[in-house]
Amino acid sequence: MNLPFDPLLVSIVAPLLAAGMLSLGLPAKLGKAVAAIGFLLPALLALHCWFYFPTDLGADYTYLTGYDTGLSYFGINLMLGLNGISMPLFLMAGIVGLASGLYAIQSKAERLPLYLGLLLVMQAGLMGVFASVDVFFFYFFHELALIPTFIMVGIWGGRDRGYAAMKMTIYLTIGAMLSLLGLIALYFKSGADNFTIIELHRVIAENGLRESIQSNIFALLLFGFGILVSLWPFHTWAPLGYSEAPSSAAMLHSGVLKKFGLYGLIQIALPLLPEGFSNWVCLFAGLAVFGNLIVIGLVTIAQSDLKKMVAYSSVMHMGYAFLGLACYSAVGIGGVIMMMVAHGLSVALLFLLSTSIHHRTKTFEMSDMGGLVKYTPVLAAFFVIATFASIGLPGLANFWGELAIFVAAWDFSPTLTVVSVSGVVISAIYGLRAAAKVFFGPESEAFAKVVAENKPADLCICEKIPALILIIALFAIGLWPKTISGPVTNAAEVLYATAPSAAVDTAQLSR
Amino acid sequence: MSVQFIALLTLLTPLASATLIALFLRKQGTLASLVSTLAAAVVAAGALTLAFGGGRFGEQLGAPVDMEWMRLGDFTISLGFLYNDLAALMLSIVGVVGLCVHIFSLGYMHDDSAKARYFGGLSIFMFSMIGIVLADNLFMIFIFWELVGFSSWLLINHYCLKQSAADASKKAFIVNRVGDFGFLLGIILCYYTFDTVNLVEIAHASGAGGVVAVAIPLLLFCGAVGKSAQLPLQVWLPDAMEGPTPVSALIHAATMVAAGIFMLCRIEPLFAHAPAIALNVVMWIGTGTALYAALCAITQSDIKKVLAYSTLSQLGYMVAAFGLGSIEHLDAESHTLIIISAGVGAAMFHLTTHAFFKALMFLGSGSVIHGCHHEQDIFKMGGLSKKMPLTFITFTIGVLAIIGMPGLAGFFSKDAILYLAMENNTPVFIILSITAVLTAFYMVRMWKLVFLGGTRSEDADHAHEGGASMTLPLLVLGVLSLIGGYEAIYGGHFNGVFDQVAHPHGSAHTTILITSLAVMLTGALGALFFYKSGPADSLQQRVPGAFGLLNGLKSTPDAVYGYYVAKIQQRFALVLNFLDQILIGGVIVRGVSGVVGLFGLAARALHTGNIHVYVYWFLAGAVILWALAAGTL
Amino acid sequence: MTVGLNEYLYLSAVLFAIGFFGVLLRKSTLIIYMCLELMLVASTVALVAFSRFNGTMDGNVFVFFILTVAAAEVAVGLAIIVALFRRRQTIQVEELNALKN
Repeated sequence: MNLPFDPLLVSIVAPLLAAGMLSLGLPAKLGKAVAAIGFLLPALLALHCWFYFPTDLGADYTYLTGYDTGLSYFGINLMLGLNGISMPLFLMAGIVGLASGLYAIQSKAERLPLYLGLLLVMQAGLMGVFASVDVFFFYFFHELALIPTFIMVGIWGGRDRGYAAMKMTIYLTIGAMLSLLGLIALYFKSGADNFTIIELHRVIAENGLRESIQSNIFALLLFGFGILVSLWPFHTWAPLGYSEAPSSAAMLHSGVLKKFGLYGLIQIALPLLPEGFSNWVCLFAGLAVFGNLIVIGLVTIAQSDLKKMVAYSSVMHMGYAFLGLACYSAVGIGGVIMMMVAHGLSVALLFLLSTSIHHRTKTFEMSDMGGLVKYTPVLAAFFVIATFASIGLPGLANFWGELAIFVAAWDFSPTLTVVSVSGVVISAIYGLRAAAKVFFGPESEAFAKVVAENKPADLCICEKIPALILIIALFAIGLWPKTISGPVTNAAEVLYATAPSAAVDTAQLSR
Repeated sequence: MSVQFIALLTLLTPLASATLIALFLRKQGTLASLVSTLAAAVVAAGALTLAFGGGRFGEQLGAPVDMEWMRLGDFTISLGFLYNDLAALMLSIVGVVGLCVHIFSLGYMHDDSAKARYFGGLSIFMFSMIGIVLADNLFMIFIFWELVGFSSWLLINHYCLKQSAADASKKAFIVNRVGDFGFLLGIILCYYTFDTVNLVEIAHASGAGGVVAVAIPLLLFCGAVGKSAQLPLQVWLPDAMEGPTPVSALIHAATMVAAGIFMLCRIEPLFAHAPAIALNVVMWIGTGTALYAALCAITQSDIKKVLAYSTLSQLGYMVAAFGLGSIEHLDAESHTLIIISAGVGAAMFHLTTHAFFKALMFLGSGSVIHGCHHEQDIFKMGGLSKKMPLTFITFTIGVLAIIGMPGLAGFFSKDAILYLAMENNTPVFIILSITAVLTAFYMVRMWKLVFLGGTRSEDADHAHEGGASMTLPLLVLGVLSLIGGYEAIYGGHFNGVFDQVAHPHGSAHTTILITSLAVMLTGALGALFFYKSGPADSLQQRVPGAFGLLNGLKSTPDAVYGYYVAKIQQRFALVLNFLDQILIGGVIVRGVSGVVGLFGLAARALHTGNIHVYVYWFLAGAVILWALAAGTL
Repeated sequence: MTVGLNEYLYLSAVLFAIGFFGVLLRKSTLIIYMCLELMLVASTVALVAFSRFNGTMDGNVFVFFILTVAAAEVAVGLAIIVALFRRRQTIQVEELNALKN
């Protein structure tokens, strides 16, 4: 079905327009309605794009449209389009954005219009990141989404918000700058006429790049994107930033924006720089498995603060993603995309629910909770669903990605696979421990005092709706993974048709 | 209706019931319980129709009944049914016991405040369990394997405001995950070795392609070790008794814990074509579990814990039977020696009878607990034979069946295992015989303390029989425990399994008969005369040393794991957390920022605020630039 | 005695030096300001002289620019100095060290 307008452009412009209208100082109710529309439109359009997504596309783009922004002299045009790899992420950005937007609308944040406005700008950036075919705008939209994050952490953050905002800013700016350097270097070394991914693919397929150049550019992209995705040991911004960030910002950043780095690696770095990839793969696979999965997994077990635990668990799960990248196969890459989507949904849900828990217990300290299920059965059920989703229970979305990554990883390195599968035990330990400490068992003394003052009520309808949006998405993908695995595998099979020669060697070595 | 359709209906009915309850019936407990029970009835009807209707499917190589569920690259996960005699038998057990437990729960959980959640959990469990039974490939088994783990977590956690229940459910899930760690690796290895995970294709490929790597069956066995609670992952099952008693009967006695053995029987060709060490490991782990759990059961005072350890011990029996492997057997008709996989036959046979009599005893104990107002200490019971005659009679049948009274279900299946052990491995035979003595001993001890003598507490004084919904399942299971050992009642519909059961002939027959009678009588009479109906344990009074030793045996693994979790894992995690915060977050990050800060400090010293100083700096800069431009510097 | 280019340039240099050292050494903002103006005038003198002796109008054009800028500077600079004095009651540079820290 054809819409009379470009759905991708509208899904970027609508939130920006809504943000602009909010800045005019609308009355509270009208402002909320405008914001809701600003969040709802991208989600609906993303669903539309997903529903009518062609099945025989390979790695090509659909909805492809170019807009001249006056930068065509530099080879830069606002070119929008979706392929099998970006569509699931675009959809996820829409859904998570809607959920976090609705959650923000009902929150009692101070200066709510400003908060919503920033969130809308962020949402526009997120939709733009995954809809951009032009590398410049891909980067530009990332920055557009990143800057509101800093501001939101700085203004609405928790106790350490100043330090957290500063640390996040420095880390993420360095990461973004490194990757920008890499992207520019790639553009110049390839000798492409314009900055679109399609053109880069075409030129590099024709001319190729020398291995040393590939290796250097890949390193820039790997570490640049790696910092953005919190690859160990460049992760320390994430737990601090997320635990201080206001819930909706944490949902959007950890759920969607963080996937920017992985997306860049999958869509740009790996297919264009296969030899560079094979020079670095052992390093980053090792860092991901031992650093992110095992070390951070154990660190997550040690957390006593609920939000910190969720933040660390999100860092840990990135280890699976990097392991999947290391496989350089349609199975592994497909698994990473499935995992990115599922992780985005589940971690956003966990952040949302942690905040709802905080409203009721007045603390994030898990030892000061307990027995909450007695007052809030629905919240408990939702949290249990989110927990089991994030520890990879079949029937919920996260299972597929993890399973595919494990299967693919065996081909890359059985040893690393064995180590990484132990992650399923680790995540079960911290996930269930958190659920048990917060909801089950007798009430702790501290919580009993809180209850005596103010009896906690169950989730209200306006908290339920955003949570349900995420839960339904988790179940939909969990029960019917073909919703997204079809386009993903079509694209991944084309992009990752041939394994890079050196990567095959390492696989044989480790056998 | 085609057989496939009935199978699909059987699988999906409980899922529909669970969904219905979760979405709409959370506040209508009674309605939820009826919906769930109705679903269980449909399952039972479907299972029996399928089993006795004769249709079997999915056994042919390359049967195109699979549905692709997910595909990434060349990796697909498909859904399909393999419904052979093995699956038919297991499905019938799940259906019948499941229905009994549902009906029993109607009475037992009548006053529970979270009835809807309970019955929703039961439905989810039925769905997942049937999924395991029908699955035709290892990934599908794994998926439902995880789901039974989840439903087990949900149901153990039913009394979730109790710390012990919360801990027990968590422990059960995590310990199972440890087993699944190996299971998943085994499946992946299998996938890479045979390029398929379909059970029929694996059976075909493993026979064709020489020796199977020993790692595959052993890694897959890890899954069974977790789910069937074998050494060293046995610790979760006794704790799982925190769940409601009918749950213990269904999940932690009759079906889910037996899924490990069922899964082993499904992948038997892998073991048959692997080096003998694979089966030997299985055999010794099973034998060890059987003996260990029987020893632990002797000192228990909680009626459910006795049954839990008894379950462990019997599961050990089944695993050992599977590990004993194949045997040469004289075919009665053709008078030729053929090799049968007697391990599968004996294990499944015992699984069947055990499901009946152990579910019976658990439900019986549930009836006792219900009657005694949730008193579980056997030393506070006594004399219940007069208060609860029907429970007494059916429970007695269960006890007689498990200790191997000739003519009852357990006798036949236990004999099959002992015979196999005698033929294949003498040390195992001896250990299993000792275990049989112990089984008779602790079972009769419990039976005597609960039902005979005088009442020993207020609660026991006022004990009463539950309603019809609680006695009816006891009767059904009691009858099955009586006749379940006669293959005739299965009408030849499960011959794929029962043909594999080895029957002793001639002198072997006599030896086995005498042995089993001797061990049963020794154990039973010993307990009958040794234990006095009193408020204290006779063993503890007379031989405190032995009692202490057995208690220590029971608590050591828990203590070791507890030590590991609290002292090693947690501390290691804390140390890593500390390093993460201090080393990476502190020394390195703050170090870098400190160096940058030093430069900043130095640069700031130049900012005196005096305009004249700035002018001098400006001059100096101009001079240097000029010198550079002129090339003198 | 004829007045050639050199004499004009000497005058310009002397004026510039007076202005330059005034800027460096004097403490009063007002005087520093006047010295700056002196330096501008010095360069103006040099430019006019160059223009006269080269016979082109380039230097004169520069002078117009300098005069314009100087006028603007007077307007802004004097205003700042007045505002400063109102707030701080002083125009001595060593007391105006708010740029520090």
